Amino acid sequence: MREASTGAERELPSSGSSGSSGARTRGAADGSGQDALPAAQQELLRRAIRLERWTLAAVALGVLLVGALAGQSQSMKAAWMEDSLSLLPPLAFLIAARRIRRRPTPEHPYGHHRSIGMAHMVASVALLGMGAFLVIDSATTLLSRERAPVGITVIAGHAMWTGWLMILVMALTTIGPVILGRKKAKLAEPLHDKVLYADADMNKADWQSALATIVGVLGIGIGWWWADAVCALLISASIIHDGVKNLRGAVRGLADARARTYDDSASHPLTREVVSVAEREAWVREAAARVRDEGHVFHVELFVVPAEGTPAELARLCEDLRERIRDIDWKLHDIVVAPVTEIPAAQVGGTA
Amino acid sequence: MPSAPARGAALALLLALLASGCGLPRDADGALERASGGTLVVGIAENPPSTEIHDDGSVSGEEVDLVQEYARSIDAQVEWVPGGEGELARQMRAGDLDLLIGGLAADSSLEGDIALTRPYAVAPGPDGEEIEHVLGVRSGENALLVSVETHLASRSGEL
Repeated sequence: MREASTGAERELPSSGSSGSSGARTRGAADGSGQDALPAAQQELLRRAIRLERWTLAAVALGVLLVGALAGQSQSMKAAWMEDSLSLLPPLAFLIAARRIRRRPTPEHPYGHHRSIGMAHMVASVALLGMGAFLVIDSATTLLSRERAPVGITVIAGHAMWTGWLMILVMALTTIGPVILGRKKAKLAEPLHDKVLYADADMNKADWQSALATIVGVLGIGIGWWWADAVCALLISASIIHDGVKNLRGAVRGLADARARTYDDSASHPLTREVVSVAEREAWVREAAARVRDEGHVFHVELFVVPAEGTPAELARLCEDLRERIRDIDWKLHDIVVAPVTEIPAAQVGGTA
Repeated sequence: MPSAPARGAALALLLALLASGCGLPRDADGALERASGGTLVVGIAENPPSTEIHDDGSVSGEEVDLVQEYARSIDAQVEWVPGGEGELARQMRAGDLDLLIGGLAADSSLEGDIALTRPYAVAPGPDGEEIEHVLGVRSGENALLVSVETHLASRSGEL
């Protein structure tokens, strides 16, 4: 696409809206290793990693418990499937969080922060998959008029309706997602982490569908064999909505669309701020910025027109060089020439 | 996070179900209530030694004894409906039978149409593998299923 910026001096805007990018060393094209994050965000990231490890443990435990109890019950089998799907977002997050520790190299001049965007994609697809699975499963149950049999379980010499046991287990499996989901949702904005945001949606889907299973099992208990499927259908609508919202955001992000807020609800205000800061410079007459989301951190290309009276020499030389590069090959299509005082270390040898 | 009205509605539904749920589970079609003190309709497919159907229409076998014992416990008369397994499964799905016996195994392919009980016995099959013997109950009739399973569990001494 482009042979791009060994960027001008810039400060990577790494926080969402809290504006706490704080005092950091400024460097040209410092890429996006984990050290692209300021201390406050590094601490948030560490907390997010701990949360996701807990999520993984809680969901894995749920998968084991529900799997052991599922038996002939369609709703419990569905709950088991959903729990298995909700392993994906935390796994994707933890893998991505490891990858972004790597520093940019000539081979990866932009660094590895895009892993966050890819993890967001994985998490969104898992969420959408869960919603779609719920719809298909409940529709099948309703159409084929399947009536779930739930018998007894003998515990220490006492017969107990297995339905009560299922309700107990499902109630237990809601605790983790409710707590963890809320904590993740709080971190998603200050860390500008869309994987966390999607995973918080996944946790919401987890506890809501567990609640639907509880209502469904109670429904089975009073002879309403369809209650289970109807509850699941109602909840699947909101899960699919969240899945589509996240997937659209993830696709936009990976396609280098203009950076958006952590919840993809609006254009990120930092794009406008970059331009207005540039235009406040005395030598700049006009500026425009392309800002894309690398995951946590943004990547900025800034175009400036020098004001009248400043030596126009440099701007014209940059323009000529850009033309010559474009003539080399049709694939060199989108070129930004940015004057710097020194070539950044990570970019040395990048043309090999 | 979910809207407060949605949570409120879910909670209200939950409470309503719990309040009405003390006698859970109940049957979708009230089979147990109908059979208690009345007639238990049992489909029987021949599969000796579990079930045998004689020329004079009488039935015998381990599972026949089991069903009669259970029927006595709920004060019911047994009406036997002999037939092939497939035909009986169809009748059960149509709601014409309460129970189905015929040497069914726990991994029976009838699963889905018919609720299989917990195993009442484990015996070696023709190839020497362990087979868990179960009875079939009409799907959705969970009070009947619980009643039959409780009988099986107390009979095997688990309760």
